[in-house]
Order: sequence, then structure tokens, then C-alpha cells
Amino acid sequence: MNRLKNIIAAGVLMMLALPVQGQEWLVPEKEAATSNPSEYTLENVKLGKAIYTKNCKSCHGDPGKNNPLALLPVPVDIASEKMQANSEGALFYKITNGKGVMPPFGSTISENDRWLLVNFIQNYSPGREQVLLVLPPVKAKLLASVNEAQGSVDIMAEFEDANAGYVPLLNAPVTISAKKAFGNMKIGEAETNDQGRAIYTIPANTMGDEQGYISLVVSLSEEYEAAEVILDNALVGSPKEVPGLIRKGVLWSTNSNVSLWVLISYLLSAGGAWMVIIYVIVQIVKIKKYSRSL
Amino acid sequence: MQKIESPEESRKALNKIVSDLTRSITLKDELTRFWFFILIMFAGVGLWGWTLQIRNGLGVTGMSDYVSWGLYIANFVFFVAISLVGLLISSVLQLLKISWAKPVSRAAEQIAIAAVALAGIIIVMDMGRPDRLLNVFLHGRFASPIIWDLTVVSTYLAISVLLFYIPLIPDLALMHERMGPELPTWKRKLYKVLALGWHGNDKQYKTAYHALRVLMILIIPVGLSIHTVTSWLFAATLRPGWDSTIFGPYFVAGAFVAGCGALIILMYVYRLRYGLKDYYTDMHFDRMGKLLVLVSLVYLYFNINEFFVPVYKMKLAEGVHLKTLFSGGYAFMFWFAQIVGLLLPILLIQLKFFRKPLPLSLISVVILLSAWFKRFLIVIPTMEHPFLPVQNVPDSFHHYKPTSTEMMIMLFSFFAALLIISILAKLFPVITIWEVAEEQGIDKKYLSEKSNSQ
Repeated sequence: MNRLKNIIAAGVLMMLALPVQGQEWLVPEKEAATSNPSEYTLENVKLGKAIYTKNCKSCHGDPGKNNPLALLPVPVDIASEKMQANSEGALFYKITNGKGVMPPFGSTISENDRWLLVNFIQNYSPGREQVLLVLPPVKAKLLASVNEAQGSVDIMAEFEDANAGYVPLLNAPVTISAKKAFGNMKIGEAETNDQGRAIYTIPANTMGDEQGYISLVVSLSEEYEAAEVILDNALVGSPKEVPGLIRKGVLWSTNSNVSLWVLISYLLSAGGAWMVIIYVIVQIVKIKKYSRSL
Repeated sequence: MQKIESPEESRKALNKIVSDLTRSITLKDELTRFWFFILIMFAGVGLWGWTLQIRNGLGVTGMSDYVSWGLYIANFVFFVAISLVGLLISSVLQLLKISWAKPVSRAAEQIAIAAVALAGIIIVMDMGRPDRLLNVFLHGRFASPIIWDLTVVSTYLAISVLLFYIPLIPDLALMHERMGPELPTWKRKLYKVLALGWHGNDKQYKTAYHALRVLMILIIPVGLSIHTVTSWLFAATLRPGWDSTIFGPYFVAGAFVAGCGALIILMYVYRLRYGLKDYYTDMHFDRMGKLLVLVSLVYLYFNINEFFVPVYKMKLAEGVHLKTLFSGGYAFMFWFAQIVGLLLPILLIQLKFFRKPLPLSLISVVILLSAWFKRFLIVIPTMEHPFLPVQNVPDSFHHYKPTSTEMMIMLFSFFAALLIISILAKLFPVITIWEVAEEQGIDKKYLSEKSNSQ
């Protein structure tokens, strides 16, 4: 029964999606003919990649890996033929204006940055020389330990060389992050020295939990295939001040938080009423007593 | 009334009073049995509904994330409301020395005891885990209106029972002395124990009067707080329709209307069933009718005040709430309660004809019905309109619809309340015998005499 429902639902969704998919995304000729003012260089492509990672990757996925978010219509992989069929100007126009599920970025990404994005997309163009090469990741090892007295992290990195032996990894960027409920938050970056070592001092104002503990995550960049090092409960942060969830003296607050006037009013009125009730019961006992003293 | 002088006349009059007023106890016919059968059966069906709810949890009710107070709480407020008639009749009117209220006061106390007892039970029935009831007492929070409510409900119940009991003591002694084989032995024994060896000497009367007076004064603040605190359960919560400073007096005024209505119906039933025409006279109904108009006018005033101010402002959330009341899904209930249940009775009872027993009782039935509607309207529409919009929830969460289990449990509360009143009427006279005798000028010394009519 459920399966049948799913099939029907999927069918309906496809019907809805068909007209969207069937339509061509037309770009005005003039816009399509605009050329990219920023130069196609490695530096610009790298900058474009950073912007892509931040704004586009969540839907379009990794270039060439065909792993977009399951939306309708499906976001196109930027390394695909369909994407690369667009001219520079057309790419810029589409990023700027958006269509349907694709949001317009005209107001959120600057013009220069949008052209940098175009540069990055064109890194995968068959008509261009690929300046930013994606090499298979190098196997690496990462070691890290916390020096709580200094408030720093000692890091050592090695990578596998051609002889399958591990040698120190020199001048490589290492990212230090804090493990948070919804992912890692980057604290800073260090670079290994000529011995493959690095010392990263945690900034003094980094906030930890109520006691100042931070769970640190030390990782190498994507170019290396290395397990990240997780340093749980390192006492290197400043304690977080947690305000009490229940303010003093609000309605429904706990007994330890109750305002004095509420407590006194309650006890006096309830106690007073019951004292009088007890007094009346004593009178009833007296009635009983008086029956004997006739 | 002419004062009765001679001992013969006094004894004769007293015999008549006793036989009239104990009719509710001695009456043994098919109708009584049938009535108790009906009450116990329906109360039992309702209790079965509760066992279903205990077994399957509160999920069997129509309450959900947004409407978490449903029929039960509306019903609770209704019962607290009608219990307030005890305060009005057997304390305020007595302290004001209004003599016609004397024979009515025991019926008022019966209603008070039954209603406030059921109010307490309904709260337990609204709990998801009634087995954890004790925790409310062990870990209750003094800042929580729920604890205040629990306190006033139990205090009011204790005072109502005492206020029922103390005027009963002389009657118990009298019945024990005078009534013979028409009573089963256990009843006579019960009377003997409860009569506390009452001889009717001066000291005993003095102590009883004193205790009564203390209770009558005590019940005024406690009675007012029981309904004020019940209103604070709502008013202390930030929601459209509840965020009001006059909720306390507004509830109290409404309670007097509902309670008077309930009392008039009960008086009429007693008068008809136990032949009490000489005790609940047309005059009593006439006065009750006038009292009803008075309290209804006060309630009308509070209603106008309660609705006029927010209607004038029509703030966003408040406006949505008011629109559903005035012209939305609750419009029929709302206008029925306001026009048929409040305005029309005020106008009609001004006419002498409608203060006669039967018409007044019929009007009271309508008043009681609309009083229940009103409590429903206070609780549920507000729950459906929180300040933050209701989003991304199943459609059924938007509107509250009571389930059959809830109806069953509500049925239980009504039949259990009637059962308590019926048992009290079956055990004890519905009108205070010695007060009536005193009123007719029969000397107290005859009260403690053994009956010579047998």
C-alpha cells in the first residue's frame, strides 16, 4: 500500500517537474555575449572555488562527481557538458538572475565574485586549459596533542612518499576547529614548519563550555587523505556564561526560584484558611464534649 | 407567620415537618431505584472510558500540541463555577440575614460539595499520568497557579463539607430519636455517630452557631479565591483572549449565574419529587429569580467590559481570536451563550410569570447549558490561536475535536455529580429541619423530644 502511494507520489512529482525540465533556460543574446572581465588565472580560479564552496556546493555538489542535492529540476554538475555549453556571459546571467529553484545571487554575491565563479566553472571547460588540477589525495598522517598549560595544540604531519614510507609533511596548512553540535567551527589555521611540525596557540577569547572545555578537531586540507584528530575536552577555552533558563520570580518557576512575596502570600492564605478550619473542627469536638456536661 | 404557642400544636406541626422533610430519605419506589441505576450505569460507562485513557494514554483524546486543554478543563471550570453557589446562598445571604435563603442553603451546599469534588477529580482525569499525582504534593511549585488551584479546591471542599455538616447535627439527633423502623439500622447508627450526642442544650447551640458563623465568614475569601485562582490559570498565561486583568471577577460573576441556575433546577426537582411545595414556595422561586437577574446583570456588565476593550483595539492575534467567536466557527455557541443564555433570561425573568417555578426552572436549564458553552469558549478557541502562527503541523492540529473517550469521561463527571447529590439527598434531609421548625415558632425543647406519634 505504502509502495503504491510512493509510486503515485513520485509520478505526480514527475508530471509537475516535466514542464520545468522541458523549458529551455534562455539568455538574452546581448547578455550571453558579455565577456569575463576577470582574468582566467590559477589565483582567480582558486578564489572562485572558495566562493563556490560557500554558496553553490550545497546544491550543485562536487564538480565532476555528480552528487547534487535531490531537487527538481536537478542542479546541474558544473563539470557537465550541459553546464559547459553555456558561454561566460550566459553563466554570469544565470548566476545573477536565477530561475525556479536556482536562487538569484545578484544581490548576495558581488559582481566581481560572480565573474570569479565563472572562472572557476570554466576550469572544467573542454575549451580551456585546466589551471586548478584536482590530484588524487595523498595519504597522510596527522598527530596532535593539547598543551593545556600553554593553551596550544602541538601538531605533527607526515605523508606517504613514493617509496610508501612516511616522511614529514612540510609547509602544509592545518585547520584547527571546535566540534559543535551542528558541525565543526573553524578556530584558525597553522602551517607546518620544515620539520613537519606546527604549534597553534588557541586565541585567549575562544569560548568553551561552562567549564571552558573545547573539543578540538585538527585536520589537513582536502589534498591529503588523513584521519582528522579529535581532542576531546581540552581545557583551552574561556568558560561560557550560561544564564539560568528560569529567571527568578516568574510565574511557574521552581521552588528555589520562587519570589518571597509569592511564597509568603501562598503560605499565609492557605495556612490561615486551614488554621480556621482546624478551629472549627475543634468546635465540633466541643459540641460532642458538651453532650456529656448536660 | 403566626407563632405556635400550645405544646400540642407545636408537636403536631413538628411531626408534619419531620415527615415532609425526611421524605427524600424514606421514599422507596421504583423511580428511585431506576434513577440510581441510570446514574451508576452512566457513571460506570464514563469510568470505563477513563480506564481506556489510562491504558492508552492521553492520545485517545482530541488534545494535541496546540490545544492541550480541551473538554476536561472546560468542564473543570464549569464545575468550579457552579460550586460557588454554596458561597452565595449559604454564606452571603445568611450573613445578610435573608431568611428565605435558609431552606435553600442545604441544597446549595449539596451542589457545592458535588461540584467541587468533581472539579478535583476532573483535574486528575486530565493528567496523562494520574499515578504521579502524589508528585504534585511532594514537588509542587509555590509559584504555580496549579498548586494554588489544588489548594483552594481542597480547602473549599473541606469548608463546604463542614458547612453542610454543622447545621445537620441537630437534624441527625432528631432523626435518630424520632425515626423508627422506616429506616434501616445502619442509617440510624450512622445518624447516631454523626449526631455527636447532640442534646440541644444552650452550650451546644452556642458552639454550633459560633462555628457556623466562622465558617460562613471563612468561605467568602476561600470561595472567591477558588474561582479567581481558576481564572488565573488562564490570565497568568500570555495568550489572546486570556490576557485580561478582570478575569477573576468575570469568572466569579459567571459562576454565580451558573450556580443559581443549577440551584433553581435542583429546588424544582426536590419540590416536585418530595412534595416540598410548602417549603420551596413560589416566593422562594420568585426571590431566586430576582437574585438570578441581579447576578446576571453583573455578569453582563463584565461580559461587555471583557469584550468591548479588545474589540475596540482588535490587535492582531486578539482580532483573529475574536473573529472566530463573533463570526467564525464558534459564532453560534458564542451568541447563544450571550443572547439566549444571558440577555434573554435577564429580560424574561423581569416578568412575574417567568419567576414561577416551572418557567424559571426551564430558563435555568438554558442558562446552565450556555454556562457550559461559555466555559468551552473560554478554553478552546484561545488554545487554537496562539501568538505564534501554527505552522507545518497536520491539519488536525489546527482544530480541536473531542473524541468519544473524552465525551465518555465528561459524561462520567455529570453523572457522578448527580450521584453525589442524590446520595446526599437519600442520606440527609434536603432542608434543615430545625431551622424550619424555628422559623415556624416551634420551641427548641420539642426538637429533642422523642416522637409520640408512633
